[in-house]
Amino acid sequence: MNKLWENIFKFRQKETDEIDNVLLKIPVFQGLKSRELRTIKRILYQREYKKDEVIFNQGDAGLGMYIIVKGTVEIVCGPERHMLAELSEGDFFGELALLDDSPRSATAFSKTPCKILCFFKPELLDIINRNPKLGSKILFKLAWTISERLKITNAQVSELSNLRHRDRLDSQ
Amino acid sequence: MKICRNSSNLAKVILFLIAFIILVAVLAAISDVVKLVIISALLAYVLDPLASFLESRGMSRTSATASIFLFFCALAGISSIVVLPVLYGEIKAIQSGFILEKTSLMVSSFDDFLVSNFAFLGIRDLHLLSRIQNAMAGVGDWVFNHFLDAASIITGMVLIPVIVFFFMKDGRKFKRIFVSIIPNRYFEFTLYLIHKMNIQIGNYLRGQMLEATIVGILSILALWLIGVKYFFIIGVVAGLANLIPYLGPVTGATIAIIVSILQTGGGDKVLYIIVAFILIRLIDDVLVLPLALAKSVHIHPLMVLFSLLIGGKLFGILGMLLSVPVAGFIKVVVHESIINYRRYGDRPA
Repeated sequence: MNKLWENIFKFRQKETDEIDNVLLKIPVFQGLKSRELRTIKRILYQREYKKDEVIFNQGDAGLGMYIIVKGTVEIVCGPERHMLAELSEGDFFGELALLDDSPRSATAFSKTPCKILCFFKPELLDIINRNPKLGSKILFKLAWTISERLKITNAQVSELSNLRHRDRLDSQ
Repeated sequence: MKICRNSSNLAKVILFLIAFIILVAVLAAISDVVKLVIISALLAYVLDPLASFLESRGMSRTSATASIFLFFCALAGISSIVVLPVLYGEIKAIQSGFILEKTSLMVSSFDDFLVSNFAFLGIRDLHLLSRIQNAMAGVGDWVFNHFLDAASIITGMVLIPVIVFFFMKDGRKFKRIFVSIIPNRYFEFTLYLIHKMNIQIGNYLRGQMLEATIVGILSILALWLIGVKYFFIIGVVAGLANLIPYLGPVTGATIAIIVSILQTGGGDKVLYIIVAFILIRLIDDVLVLPLALAKSVHIHPLMVLFSLLIGGKLFGILGMLLSVPVAGFIKVVVHESIINYRRYGDRPA
């Protein structure tokens, strides 16, 4: 009987560790104290998706970000479903919806069975109200993440324009 | 294949309708419990920002809820010592059908005037005085039976605070349990709807509560200064009636005018009462409304009127009080669902 309880406890511990490890990989939650991380874990929604299940559709009203704990998610765009990215354990997507009200710019679906954590805007607003210190930490990290992505996009744009410029020179 | 899918959709719709009818029937059968739960949920919802504020000051959710609970228990205790005897006395007096001698004479002479001048219309033996007395006793009985009978006081005083406490303390857990049973496909959309409703209806309800309290207090003060009898109960009714759009603000003034005419046997105080209620309205519009942010749920006035009529017809005064938030809820759900359906209705999931 004791072994059964130990196993249940271990199973729960393993699951908690798994979530902790994933959360600590996400820039938005990096550097949070364990107490703050516990608060965050309490407001996350945990969902399980079967293979090929749609997580959200392009154009849907977006409410927050998704964090992959287990499995692979594919991000596709347009009616022809052009693949934009393939994400796996520890990756996150949809974080812009935490800040703006624009619809989802792509479709996300599970390529394999997935376990996903969802962090939504109402919960973020609630955290900002209840615990402004933690709320501002998350917002700051969120801004940092988006600025990092913007830097990468700028680099890609400049690389593309350089390529085009070089092509033009070559053709002349 | 298409026929098969259509018939399966039809079966789903029929099953949904049957489940809905059963649910409505069960709720109607336990309507007293439903009323208690609705009132408690609304109170918990209105008080929620207060608990969040205390949490932001470092309190845990449980201690924040307990502090608010204790504060309101103390307030209710003081009110029951100070206010309830006054309220009880006023309702008892209305129930016994008070009318002054001067008023009786006025009503009787009016009665005679009608009978002598409008006999050709078939007006005979109106007995206005006894009718007015019966009607007033009826109102007193109604208020007494609905609000001040021992059973409802005990049930309300004990059960509502307990339900409010648990709604406030564990509201987030209840929301998570509810969300956990939503299928993945509708999960984010459901949360989106809850978020939208929270913004629109939450502000509306909190604004209404604040407005009703201030209008109630101002009405009590104004009627007390003017010297209208039963100023306390009329003020409370004026505050509560203010929760009902359009009808509310007029109701308080009308009751006060009728009572003052019956009290004095003339219209000496009518002008003062009208001025007082216009001033209260002005204070409400200029000072209170900007405080009660985003009070509007952006519903067309005609829809507000229809929802008031339907709410009143189905569930009485409680139905009228809840009709606008419910209409707001339906509007948000229908509006967002239509937008989503139009955008992506024909897209395969």
